[in-house]
Amino acid sequence: MKMLDRVVIAFSWISAVIIVGAVCAIFGHIILNGAGTIKLSLIFGDVAPLDALLLKRQVLNGLFPAVIGTLLLILISVMWAVPLGLGTGIYLAEYAGAISKKIFNLFFDILAGIPSIVIGLFGFALAIFLHKNVSNNIGPCLLISSMALAFLVLPYIIRTTQVALEELPREMRLTALALGATRLQNIRHVLLPRALSGITTGVILAIGRCAEDTAVILLTGVVAMAGIPHSLMGSYEALPFYIYYISSQYTSPEELLTGYGASLILLVLCIGLFSAAFLIQKRLTYITLYRA
Amino acid sequence: MKKQLVLMMVAGLMGCMFWTQGMVLAGSLDAFKNEKGTIKVAGGTAHIPVMKEAAKQIMTVNSDIQITIAGGGSGVGIKQVGEGLVDIGNSGRKPTDEEIAKYGLKPVQWAIDGVAIVINPKNIIRKLTGTQVKDIFAGKIDNWKQVGGEDKAVSLYTRDEASGTREVFWEKGLGKGEISSKANVVVSNGAMKTAVAQDPYAIGYVSVGHLDQSVAPVSFDGVEPTLESVKSGKYPIARGLYSMTKGEPKGLAKKLIGFLFSPEGQKIISEKGFIPVQ
Amino acid sequence: MSPTREYLYEKGFLFSAILSGSIVFLIFAFMLIMGLPLFKGNQVVALIKNDWLPARGVYGIYPMVVATLAISFFSLALAFPLSLGCAFFSGSIAPPRIARVFRKMIQIMTGIPTVIYGFVGIFLLVPIVREFTTSTSGLCIFSASLMLGIMISPTLILFFTDSLEAVPKSFLDAADALGATRVQKLLYVMVPQAKKGILAGLILALGRALGDTMVALMIAGNAARVPESLFDAARTLTAHIALVIAADYESFEFRSIFACGLVLYAFIALMVLGVRWIGMTNKR
Repeated sequence: MKMLDRVVIAFSWISAVIIVGAVCAIFGHIILNGAGTIKLSLIFGDVAPLDALLLKRQVLNGLFPAVIGTLLLILISVMWAVPLGLGTGIYLAEYAGAISKKIFNLFFDILAGIPSIVIGLFGFALAIFLHKNVSNNIGPCLLISSMALAFLVLPYIIRTTQVALEELPREMRLTALALGATRLQNIRHVLLPRALSGITTGVILAIGRCAEDTAVILLTGVVAMAGIPHSLMGSYEALPFYIYYISSQYTSPEELLTGYGASLILLVLCIGLFSAAFLIQKRLTYITLYRA
Repeated sequence: MKKQLVLMMVAGLMGCMFWTQGMVLAGSLDAFKNEKGTIKVAGGTAHIPVMKEAAKQIMTVNSDIQITIAGGGSGVGIKQVGEGLVDIGNSGRKPTDEEIAKYGLKPVQWAIDGVAIVINPKNIIRKLTGTQVKDIFAGKIDNWKQVGGEDKAVSLYTRDEASGTREVFWEKGLGKGEISSKANVVVSNGAMKTAVAQDPYAIGYVSVGHLDQSVAPVSFDGVEPTLESVKSGKYPIARGLYSMTKGEPKGLAKKLIGFLFSPEGQKIISEKGFIPVQ
Repeated sequence: MSPTREYLYEKGFLFSAILSGSIVFLIFAFMLIMGLPLFKGNQVVALIKNDWLPARGVYGIYPMVVATLAISFFSLALAFPLSLGCAFFSGSIAPPRIARVFRKMIQIMTGIPTVIYGFVGIFLLVPIVREFTTSTSGLCIFSASLMLGIMISPTLILFFTDSLEAVPKSFLDAADALGATRVQKLLYVMVPQAKKGILAGLILALGRALGDTMVALMIAGNAARVPESLFDAARTLTAHIALVIAADYESFEFRSIFACGLVLYAFIALMVLGVRWIGMTNKR
């Protein structure tokens, strides 16, 4: 049996080394090539940072529009997804019967598994539908993209809210009710505050997902050049799309380096967000991302 | 939203006041001062460098104007402007009569461009005959040694279905011959250039305006793809660059198209490697 | 707080739940409606069986289905042993301090955006594959599967590790009491107990691999042809959607992407049901 022991031990060490090697290769490649480009001019081009931030002048040679686009996407998507997801999660945890809970959970597991490009396709079809039947002004745009992204991350928020609430100890639920509080008061004043860390985890995961997604925005309104979007109906730029675009269409080595710089920024942003989520609530993050 | 509508109408009125006979408004950058609004542009990827530069100059003069530029290929440009999703659609091929009739398009040609066959600079081949090109892209010739190069398999690259560049190449370069389904598909002229520049055994086709040191053009039946040969008509794989609007161009879109015919616009077009057309 | 307000809030929560739930249906419905012209008559079979030859008016998605399955299964085949080995490593074989650091690293790895995997793949992996294999350009199923395998590994590793750790301590104690070595405990006690979890993790990872767009779009070459070898370029259902979105909204070409969407939706629904079924037969 000693032979088997040795083989398995060797196997696990080799696997670990391979994975570590791969991670180091990825991080190393991005950091080594991108670190040199991190300066203000990467983001603001040849416009003074203050002018750009106050929107006095448009930045045409830097990542600023892409950064703003990504931030706007995150903001608006979360604005759609959080109320809807929170309400759904509360319903599932507090009001739903066993059977409806099972059915809803099945639906949301499916929603969680739907490929992002299919959600993007849905967003695009929705945009065309609205364009033809509601108003000529509507087309693939910031609004549609953020709605589609909201659908993408809805399962995250629903799951974390639901699980966070369900995991609260029974005694906690019963105490307030025993003292005469209504169900709603119980939820609002007792349960939700306790479940807050879980819910926050869900929101952070949602933010991370919105920041990194490329497939959805590819189909719903992101473009190669747009400056700062003037309205919700306008096109916009975004960091992950910039990276994709540059990787296939760079016109000079300097441009390619800006792609590395953008990758570095996106990498730091997403890793930061996911790590924060893990720190706040490790178990919930697992469950949200990988629940069977 | 309503405010923008009003401003667009005012801009349109002002545009009408400047309307010159027959041609679209002759504008220069001054025409864009004191304007406000958005112009959405989409379509041919060959047009993008010119559009981007024009947009940059306009947005620098007036940061209240937003010009958004998307690629997608000539097919996308025609469809999206026809459906009213963008204000200006770019196309690297002339829209068909059906397309013009179906959408009520008004195309305008502002440049002549060629489609060059390109390979990686490391490849020693510098000329190919028409038949060789046809066979390579059909997959019949699949090793570089069959045309005098190294003993390495040919790496074929082609464009997606929406591409006007592809349409023109297929018609005039391949005589409507088949393009092997084994070919790698890339989505724009820029992407084609990058792909060929990175792959030592690649062959593809790209807009002449996009040519630079990263790729090596190949002479086609003895004719080099240069601006002169395209202009003189000697190089057969040539096409116009078109921009179109649904119906007559109005407002800011009209000004942008007009800008392309102005001295500054024409300068941008030639700088980017195309032949400006009045 | 008045009873009506209570009632309203409760109905409000119910409403959000119904709205969220209906999105799942809406997505399916839109796909179906937009793809409808394709499904008339016996065209359904042709759709799935045919090759993609738009120049000849043939709009089958068969090559894309094959490519999707090929890339997904191959990347899973690469990721499974790798992740299992790493799960062994962090769950049992490695010294506690190293295991902790390793796990932290894997957690961080889950945050890497997919577009970055594609980006690094193009510039790091593709040239190598081009030089050392029969792939002419380096853009092929093999490269894409490699990158994809690495991408789905962290999720798999964490899942497997959790499953291994969920084994009741009493089992582990019993094994120790009987004098089992680390490896024997792992192989004969922990893994069998974690079997259901491992299977569920695999199915979830498969789902993720099936649904990936960016890695396949950037690295697999996008040739719309049934691949004949691992080193051929190929186009997945997901990449096809991204590439054809450009076409005429009325054409069959365009409708084909909704067919792709439906196929993907169906795959995922099957996976989810499959995982549920495993969970349900896991009555303790």
